[in-house]
Amino acid sequence: MNVSLIEFEITVVLLGMGVLLLDLWTPAERKPGLGLAAALSLLLVLVATFLVPIPQGAAASGFGGGYLLDGLALFFKRFFLVAAILVLVMQTEFADRIASGISEFYALVLFALAGMMFAASANNFVMLFVAIELITVTFYVLTSFQRGRTASLEAGVKYLILGALSSGFLVFGIALIYGTSGTMSFPEIAAKIKASHDLAHGALFQLGVLLVLVALGFKIAAVPMQIWAPDVYQGAPAPVTAFLAVGSKAAGMVLLLRVLLTAVPDLASHSAKLLMTVAGITILYGSLCAIPQRNLKRLLGYSSIASAGFLLLGISALSLNGISAILYYLGGYLFTVLAAFLVICIVTRNTKDEDISVLAGLHQRSPLLAAGLTLAMVSLAGVPPLAGFFGKFLLLKAAVESASNPEFRSAYYTLVAVGIVGVIISLYYYFGVMKAIFWTKPTGDLSPIPLSLPARLALYVCIAGMLFLGLYPGPLLDFTDGVVKAVFN
Amino acid sequence: MNIGLEQYLTVSGLLFCFGLLGVVVRRNLLIMYMGLELMLNAANLALVAFSRFNDNLDGQLMVFFIITVAAAEVAVGLALIVALYRKRQSAHVEDLTTLKL
Repeated sequence: MNVSLIEFEITVVLLGMGVLLLDLWTPAERKPGLGLAAALSLLLVLVATFLVPIPQGAAASGFGGGYLLDGLALFFKRFFLVAAILVLVMQTEFADRIASGISEFYALVLFALAGMMFAASANNFVMLFVAIELITVTFYVLTSFQRGRTASLEAGVKYLILGALSSGFLVFGIALIYGTSGTMSFPEIAAKIKASHDLAHGALFQLGVLLVLVALGFKIAAVPMQIWAPDVYQGAPAPVTAFLAVGSKAAGMVLLLRVLLTAVPDLASHSAKLLMTVAGITILYGSLCAIPQRNLKRLLGYSSIASAGFLLLGISALSLNGISAILYYLGGYLFTVLAAFLVICIVTRNTKDEDISVLAGLHQRSPLLAAGLTLAMVSLAGVPPLAGFFGKFLLLKAAVESASNPEFRSAYYTLVAVGIVGVIISLYYYFGVMKAIFWTKPTGDLSPIPLSLPARLALYVCIAGMLFLGLYPGPLLDFTDGVVKAVFN
Repeated sequence: MNIGLEQYLTVSGLLFCFGLLGVVVRRNLLIMYMGLELMLNAANLALVAFSRFNDNLDGQLMVFFIITVAAAEVAVGLALIVALYRKRQSAHVEDLTTLKL
């Protein structure tokens, strides 16, 4: 096997250990700068993913077939790298609110990133389990990193209990799938299902798949495993929430795609109704519960549940266009959510809580921050011409196309209707945030908010990403179409 | 009596259900955490039994990964619960009310 197959992951892990080592020789006042150094190094890794020749065919798989470096894996690896770079910049902005151990704060994000990159390449259940746990266990620590704040600790413990519960479901599901099929590898399971029809209809096998799906549903925060999301999003430090919303969700999504479409494609097409029901309920739950929220991070927590519903809508379309739309939606979601959290992270520096009212008068205090947050909200709401609009449009379009199947016609149309209702409800609360920025009488402090150069650059990148993906969807869409055709055809 | 796969699976299923019951019913974080560990070990037992009866070692290999990961998870989890206990002087879920429900 070729070790260069996992060179990007090795680099990221070494970088994480390097940050921990450098911490020993760095004077305390310069430690926050380590985050920027790590972000720059990750930028180099990101560039390298475009320059280094990628192995093709049989050479692209290693660890007994458990690791696969195909187009989908590469897409998600780049996605996670971009997310981690922006999150590291956000963390340096957050450094003054961390009592001690700022280097560990950076290193843990790098280790979680390594887990996500392994998840993108997982091709059997062992790799899936180890990657998921690497992500989850690091996030337990990251969530409760502000040990002095009860909210942060409490969020960490809630995430711990529910995360460990979903791990329990995951391993038991894996045990049942392994027991009935005799293998851990996704392609081999698919082959065994093809060879013997009884396997896919066995109760134990189906229970196993269901348990695994429940555990992955926890990662993406889909109903009925969404209960942790609002509390953890509210309690965790803002950069961690951002990474949780983007990285952890996308990692769950890529694993869900792999399991559903590589390991049990037949079962997936039989359970289209189940997927549609879960997608519809998730969209409605997220949108409706977000309405009364006053805490910004909690609001985004519910909005992220609604987004998970839209992603599931793309899966339930069971078409290549649906998967391609998911990748596109995630691309736009990355810049949108990170822009929102970057602004929240900076604005709440000197305020005790994250109530929506802290945004009052933001357009006078810092026009750039106000513009960034406004664009992010408009994009999340799905208003043209921003990235979020195009993502949602593609997802709904894929569902409408799948409605040509007469068996499911009414179900797909109902789901699309639910999706549109969800978008309309979401307009209300996203515009509530914009109202707080521009039309609320500011009461407190109206001093301008200073913006450091890295934060400014990160915000520009996010805004550019949102606008570019909204105005010129062509390049990324062609790319995702190509990836999906190559992997799932 | 000949012990077959069914017996192992029954025990494993029972362990899993007891673990789940512990998480759902008990209100003390430490006891809930013990329930969670019981669930993981139920899966371990099932994997080893399946591995034996499937005649390949993939299941046993998975068990090693699960034990390792569970150890890491316990280390982090207990640290978190202790940190919370120091702050609140309580390890009961009813007291986790800072974040509104």
